[in-house]
Amino acid sequence: MTTGVELLMKCVNIPETNDSVELYILDSAGKETLVEGCEKMWGEPSLLCLVFDLTNEQSLANCTYWMERVRAHCKGLHVPGVLVGNKSDLSIRREVQASVAKEWAQSQGLEYHETSAKEMDNCDAPLLSLAQAFYSFYQERREAIQNLSP
Amino acid sequence: MIDSSGAQVVLASSSDENHPPENITDGNSKTFWMSTGMFPQEFIIRYPETTNITAVTVDSYNIKHLKIEKNTSPNATQFEPVTQEEFERTEGHLQSNAISLNGSRATHLRFIITAGYDHFVSVHRVNVKT
Repeated sequence: MTTGVELLMKCVNIPETNDSVELYILDSAGKETLVEGCEKMWGEPSLLCLVFDLTNEQSLANCTYWMERVRAHCKGLHVPGVLVGNKSDLSIRREVQASVAKEWAQSQGLEYHETSAKEMDNCDAPLLSLAQAFYSFYQERREAIQNLSP
Repeated sequence: MIDSSGAQVVLASSSDENHPPENITDGNSKTFWMSTGMFPQEFIIRYPETTNITAVTVDSYNIKHLKIEKNTSPNATQFEPVTQEEFERTEGHLQSNAISLNGSRATHLRFIITAGYDHFVSVHRVNVKT
């Protein structure tokens, strides 16, 4: 369980290009009492990865609250994001249906992934998705700037 | 007015080979250097001789806050603050800001972009007035 904020770096190659995206990840504790301390470290995020527990319905419900907190830091800028349902290995204890989570994700403009950190299943997919979103976003802005008038 | 010939970018915090730092000092506002995510971003320009700089003009896009520092050393280390500016946001065209430096003598100028109006900023041209 994360306590406080941990800074991690992960380099993700963008398929079919020679480019890669370095993700500077602020892994923030989910515990209510630690939230305020973590938020101070966020700055202005470029990307969002929201993780909840598939065996705990409240965990998905809390995501609404997390979205609000992150939005407050984004200052109106578009921030691509993913919603990740973790603990997919605990299928007997699953409380959240994929379709429900996916629908909520889409309503928030997030891409949905299910993973099992314990089984190391599908853990790269959300990060690749984020890296690709950021890369596309960069290319888009680059083109827009090239078309500016002086 | 001196143009930037002889001026050289000796450090930049982002690099996309399609938009290299040389585009800042090539005198052409169509070419640009682009930052690749997160702030602060910075670049350092070295001038061939220590010069008295009265003002600097920056043609850019999406810069919100810029700090300028200088030194008179042959190395790109140890800078002292000169000024900082908040830039107005522009839509669909470049920002062009003339910043007074009050006749600072400088060999290097260090430009630190601490905030942007978007995730990425671009710098198209930096000219100095002596």
